[in-house]
Amino acid sequence: MSERKPKDYGKTRGVRGAGEVPAEPEGASPEEGRGVSRREFLAAAGFTLAGAVVAGCARAPVEKAIPYLVQPEHIVPGRAYHYASTCGGCASSCGVVVKNRDGRPIKVEGNAEHPLSRGGLCAVGQATVLGLYDSHRLASPLAGGRETTWAAVDRAVGERLAAIRAEGGAVRFLSGTEASPTARAEIERFLAGFASGRHVEYDTLSSAAILDAHERTHGARLLPRYHLDRSEVIVGVDADFLGTWISPVEYTAGYRAGRTLEGRPPRLSYHVQFESRMSLTGSNADVRYAVRPGDLGVVMDGLARRLAARAGVVVPGEGGGAEPFPAETLDRLAERLWRARGRSLVLCGSQEIQTQLRCNFVNHLLGNYGATLEVARPSFQRRGSDRALEELQRELNRGEVAALFVRDVDPVYDLPDGETWARAMKEVALTVSFAASVDETASVSAYVCPDHHYLEAWRDAEPAAGVFGLTQPALSPLGGTRAMIESLAVWRGEAKAAYDLIREHWEARVYPLAVPERTFRTFWERAVHDGYVEVATEAVAGGEFDMSAVRPGYEAPAAAEGAFALVLYPKVAIVDGHHASNPWLQELPDPVTKAVWDNYACLSPRAAAAQGLAEGDVVRVEAPGGTTAEFPVLVQPGQHDGVVAVALGYGRRETRRFAGIGPRWLEGRPTVEEGGVVGTRAAPFLAWENGTRRYLREGVKVVKTGKRHDLAITQGHHSLSVPPELATPGAETRPIVQETTLPAFVGNPAAGGHPHHNPAPGSREDLWPDDHKYPGHHWGIVVDLNACTGCSACVVSCQAENNLPVVGKDEVRRSREMHWLRIDRYYAGPEAAPTVVHQPMFCQHCDYAPCETVCPVLATVHSREGLSEQVYNRCVGTRFCEANCPYKVRRFNWFHYRRDDERENLVLNPDVVVRSRGVMEKCTFCVQRIQEAKIEAKRQGRAPEEGDIRTACQQSCPAGAIVFGDLNDPRSRVSRLAADPRRYDVLAELNLRPSVGYLRLVRNTA
Amino acid sequence: MAERAKPAAVPLVLGDKTPGQVTADITRALERRPGFLWWAAFVPSVAALAVGVAAVVYLLRTGVGVWGINTTVPWGFDITNFVFWIGIGHAGTFISAILYLFRQKWRTSVNRSAEAMTIIAVTCAGIFPMIHMGRVWFFYWMFPYPNTRGPLWLNFESPLVWDVFAILTYFTVSLIFWYVGLIPDLATVRDRTRSRVKRFLFGVFSLGWSGRFRVWHRYETVYLLLAGLATALVISVHTIVSWDFATTVIPGWHTTIFPPYFVTGAIFSGMAMVLTLMLIARKVMGLEAYITRRHVDPMCKVVIVASGLVALAYVTEFFTALYSGNPTEAFAFVNRALGPLGWGFWIMVACNVLIPQLFWIKKVRSTFLLVFVISILINVGMWFERFVIIVATLQRGYLPSSWATYVPTSVEIATLVGSFGLFFTAFLLFARFLPVIAIAEVKGVLGTSRAKGGGPR
Amino acid sequence: MVSRVVTVVLAVGLFFSLLILAVGLADLRIPDDQQGYEPAQPIAFSHRLHAGELDIGCLFCHAGDEKSRYAGFPAASTCMYCHADVSATFGAVRAEAEAAEAEGRAVRRIVSTELETLYEALALDENMERDPAKTLTPIAWVKVHDLPDYTYFDHRAHASAGVTCAACHGPIETMERVRQEESLSMGWCVNCHRDGYQAEENGKSAYASVDCATCHF
Repeated sequence: MSERKPKDYGKTRGVRGAGEVPAEPEGASPEEGRGVSRREFLAAAGFTLAGAVVAGCARAPVEKAIPYLVQPEHIVPGRAYHYASTCGGCASSCGVVVKNRDGRPIKVEGNAEHPLSRGGLCAVGQATVLGLYDSHRLASPLAGGRETTWAAVDRAVGERLAAIRAEGGAVRFLSGTEASPTARAEIERFLAGFASGRHVEYDTLSSAAILDAHERTHGARLLPRYHLDRSEVIVGVDADFLGTWISPVEYTAGYRAGRTLEGRPPRLSYHVQFESRMSLTGSNADVRYAVRPGDLGVVMDGLARRLAARAGVVVPGEGGGAEPFPAETLDRLAERLWRARGRSLVLCGSQEIQTQLRCNFVNHLLGNYGATLEVARPSFQRRGSDRALEELQRELNRGEVAALFVRDVDPVYDLPDGETWARAMKEVALTVSFAASVDETASVSAYVCPDHHYLEAWRDAEPAAGVFGLTQPALSPLGGTRAMIESLAVWRGEAKAAYDLIREHWEARVYPLAVPERTFRTFWERAVHDGYVEVATEAVAGGEFDMSAVRPGYEAPAAAEGAFALVLYPKVAIVDGHHASNPWLQELPDPVTKAVWDNYACLSPRAAAAQGLAEGDVVRVEAPGGTTAEFPVLVQPGQHDGVVAVALGYGRRETRRFAGIGPRWLEGRPTVEEGGVVGTRAAPFLAWENGTRRYLREGVKVVKTGKRHDLAITQGHHSLSVPPELATPGAETRPIVQETTLPAFVGNPAAGGHPHHNPAPGSREDLWPDDHKYPGHHWGIVVDLNACTGCSACVVSCQAENNLPVVGKDEVRRSREMHWLRIDRYYAGPEAAPTVVHQPMFCQHCDYAPCETVCPVLATVHSREGLSEQVYNRCVGTRFCEANCPYKVRRFNWFHYRRDDERENLVLNPDVVVRSRGVMEKCTFCVQRIQEAKIEAKRQGRAPEEGDIRTACQQSCPAGAIVFGDLNDPRSRVSRLAADPRRYDVLAELNLRPSVGYLRLVRNTA
Repeated sequence: MAERAKPAAVPLVLGDKTPGQVTADITRALERRPGFLWWAAFVPSVAALAVGVAAVVYLLRTGVGVWGINTTVPWGFDITNFVFWIGIGHAGTFISAILYLFRQKWRTSVNRSAEAMTIIAVTCAGIFPMIHMGRVWFFYWMFPYPNTRGPLWLNFESPLVWDVFAILTYFTVSLIFWYVGLIPDLATVRDRTRSRVKRFLFGVFSLGWSGRFRVWHRYETVYLLLAGLATALVISVHTIVSWDFATTVIPGWHTTIFPPYFVTGAIFSGMAMVLTLMLIARKVMGLEAYITRRHVDPMCKVVIVASGLVALAYVTEFFTALYSGNPTEAFAFVNRALGPLGWGFWIMVACNVLIPQLFWIKKVRSTFLLVFVISILINVGMWFERFVIIVATLQRGYLPSSWATYVPTSVEIATLVGSFGLFFTAFLLFARFLPVIAIAEVKGVLGTSRAKGGGPR
Repeated sequence: MVSRVVTVVLAVGLFFSLLILAVGLADLRIPDDQQGYEPAQPIAFSHRLHAGELDIGCLFCHAGDEKSRYAGFPAASTCMYCHADVSATFGAVRAEAEAAEAEGRAVRRIVSTELETLYEALALDENMERDPAKTLTPIAWVKVHDLPDYTYFDHRAHASAGVTCAACHGPIETMERVRQEESLSMGWCVNCHRDGYQAEENGKSAYASVDCATCHF
């Protein structure tokens, strides 16, 4: 069906009003020759004009409707269908539900029943749906960079493989952590056909040290499964587990479960974070210590000693580095951990095996193994081995590899010595990449055999022992792509459909583990329906801990004088750069820095001042060994003074496409120069140290270049306290975010409140007539600031649901970003060690909305259900409403934002109109979902119930921080939370009566 | 004392003209070809206008995004210019109507062009709210007209709607007032001109004026009535414009002082602009004899008074803000003076409060060059007043997270230039084709009687 | 003298231009007001015949009405329920039968031109089999009742509120070619919604809402 597509007025010409307009004014015709008088001419012209006017008014746009030829069963055009599936965004393999509309997926949402992700979905997962419609994806295989057919590729590859098989050449299959058990099996079967075949896995963001450490301490190379929900004391050492570390959604859900204030006494875990830069996790910690990266090991060692002393275990090694802060800090922490034995968890993101060994040791002393982290039923979200990768690299350089297959990873881009890789790969007899589009590695591979997007394919995954995920296709492939396992099967000589391969594998391997299930068919159908199954698996590794593994003696690397330590970190949206070509992610403000469309060198305020550097100054980062690169400076409070932090995942060749993004006009600047890329590649700075890749370089110089590079940052002011020179007595800070401490809260649930912000119900004085009655529903949202981590998944979810345009870097720089939902991040306290709050901010749907009174044409009015409605087609764009909005949450269409990528437009939500130039827009509480639910309920002859309606932001939130519902319904969760003593309104003193309430932040500090 | 007597001794019109000479002098401008000075003024004006037109065309083709405004500062030059021009548009009617009611004889030489200025300025002003709309092509939705949309009409709560009515009313009445004043002089031109076309046109527009006593009598009555009507409007228009801000919840806008504050500001800037134009017209049209110290001097005095009132308004604003104990309000005003746009604030204070004080000095009042310069500075100051009120306030709202800066783009500057181009082009055309001075009224202040063979015939 | 000629010419000119406009005015309308719109369709399907004479219910073809926001256009396969057998008017078939009898030959299959298009779309050969040689070509119907894109209309809501099809679509069963009977202007919609809203039971609106966001989002 043709819905919400721009109408084509051009087409109408032939249909109606045709003939009413003479082709041209008679007067202009040759008759002029035989002397037509001026009056005749004018008359003729006049009549023509009259005709044209009439025709013009009568003309109507024609829309065609093209129904099915043969109606498929159970499909009703215009209805949305949801399919359970598994996210293919990364190896975490969260459970998702794909919303399908008229044969195309338009939204990916979390699957609430999934045992790991529990209903949330991160920003990357949300954005994958746009990746599906990426028009730069390959539509056919490439041979030597040229398009070709599968038959041709199969023939060529087949011959090469035959030859290699004959001469017993080495075949290497390089991939990221392969989440799919079927794929693993297929790869093994494929490699088995060769004299020397090996499957090498590595992770762009390596956690190899954790696995290696467990190999030594527990005798099995595994990644434990962490249960943050069971932990009352959480110590994070350089592990950004809420943002980018391994499986953020799963961890956020667990973290949130361990930090609830509903119960009496409230159950609020104590979270201490040691880190060198300001990570999202650190910004949420109760207590946070900025530590020089070299000293993180010292901290872990210090904890180990203290706990060993308490446990009466012989202390491993003597000495230990000088601790960066007074001894009692760790004494107190150790005490607290010790009291929470078996109910605590120490997480370590270090790539230093010694530190990881101590981390295991600490968790072992605390008896956390088997309690808060499992090795018996571990996680499979990270399997990568840096040692294997190093080995492969050596083989390549020695020219010992005959065939190299690359899937899901991009060594030429990911690895520090990418150029060497590129050169080595050219020497390899057969190189095949399964990349979906031509990335750095694909561009040097002989053959590119594009794999499906996960939404087009049958796939499976085993994110953790006993948890199997299933991916079902939500639409048939858009291009001529082919599943990797199908390709392997073909080259193995027995072509088979991916569906059959997976089904067979499950019948053989997964089904037997399932608790007595009648038949495989029912089991399979349940799996497809639910998108996952949980089965019992036998223990992978025993709990026994090998003390001998913990080597004595720990010495921290000495800090070079006057030099910086370079920390290479992943950003929440871009992570490892795998999705760098996704504009939604590029334009998502970083949760901490709020910068978009760039990576940059983060310096602490003091370090920046010392170097005379301001935000936007370009510096050259020089690492020992001659690696250099230039980045703009970003001043980051809370970062250690000796650290310069740079994000990975930028400078990808695939981001060249963004040269044309955003509106073009007189003073408009391109997001990237023609042929340029977004940001700068930082991978060259990565280091190899005894068997692991390090995201840290010591002894780095930061040199001022004098150049400037404007950063696009969505939030210019970071503090709730008024600039001192402007502050008037008594108004130094603004009570926009309210917070209190746990003890205070236990004493008085309303602690930390502000007189204006919690008026007693009756006490509200009012000039307004009480003309807003809500007979039926009164929709509202309550945001729990205690739960919100600022992960920004909701922002992308909103963008996907409401057809928000991508405007490009220059527009963001001019504070014209179009996100309806933004997350305000404020710092408080000293710049060196600030506390951080994240506050989701969107239209508050005030009962007495200032925007509504000032609109001259009634384009924004109040509904009988408490919504502040914005009517795009009535708006004339005076922007008075925006001027009068205290929250500044309205967004104006400054330009006609181009949507000329037909393929990409398939992602548009047909239930939400695409706004035209010159109209105002804003958060609608996802009114299209409200209407849908109400209409469906009416159809079934009932009232909409709690849970029928979930806004996009609420649905995506891994922490369940956003609760939407009917404030008029006393049983609804939202109305209970609205009555919570922690609830307060932002800018309550204006008495606008917002329908959005916030729950006060409670920190677990004394 | 002697000095005080002096001004009275100085006649309003120099050179002891006979009514006949007056007619001749003033209509001469219409009859002979314009001089070099006129062209020297006209050509740049038209050029500026062209620039403005180009800017607006580009704006309408591309979108409001070509201006520097953003989510935090959704109004910038557009509304600033609007308020500025509306302000200019005040003096005309003020002079013609209020001073007429107070029987200020010195107004006679200036009222005609002051009224013309009013009409032109209001036109300039009207353009901005129009083009600042995101979808200009739907401007007519601002008017209450019958439509097929059922209950959907206008939001009569919105100050913008009040604006539409207030400004259109003001424009209409000013136009009529000006036209009525013109009638006798049009007749004069009709009778003097030799060209057929002119006689026909002026004949039509002078409505067959005969100049008989009864006609004069009725004319005077109509003029008086219109003056009364216009007086009310002078107050109402800017009051309503000020409500655009006063009725919002934005700290720094939400103040009850705005109506009187805006009206005095308007008269202030209007007077300054009249001075500017008078002194230009005097030179360009060679009317030295008719625009004299006797006219400039009282206008300067009015300017001093207005300046004082404006200063009072500034002080009161700050006092209430700081005294109110409303933290956001206090912050808004401290920020105005010391915040990122503080320089704009101090320009405003310097030009509107300090510099006009020079008019206390008689020497300054009688040195036309100085008067000219100061009058221009005053208008610069008044433009900055509006800029500070609008932009400085919006830049620093309630939530620090959304604080932003505003930098005008070349398109905005071009539009501002263009509006001045339109203003001067229109005024020079008026000076070229219509009597810039109310001939009939000037004759009334010659000190000679009509019996001496004067009268428009 | 000259002036009289001028006046006459002007008068005549005026008269004619007014005449032209008067003719035009009949067809003059506000843009997007499509009342009376009656476009030609790829197949001259007669609602009078099917909905009127044969009295086939609306939902037989427009099956989405109660399940989706779109009532939907029937798939070509739906037509084949009957038109697999019925390929021409009864009259034509009988005439052929008589002719065949008279000439003593086998009865040829008569296919009306309109149904020809349908069979072509489905790529069928003369004995109603899928012809691999031909390609499937979907039928692009012209929407008659077509609201602007910024207006959300949902058939479900109206169907479950007991609004009849005719309330908005007029007496379809009498139309040879479908015509837009009502103006479908906003005012027209709102009138009905407003009346619906009056009927309230214990504070809950019984029927339609007049909130903007009912139709615009």
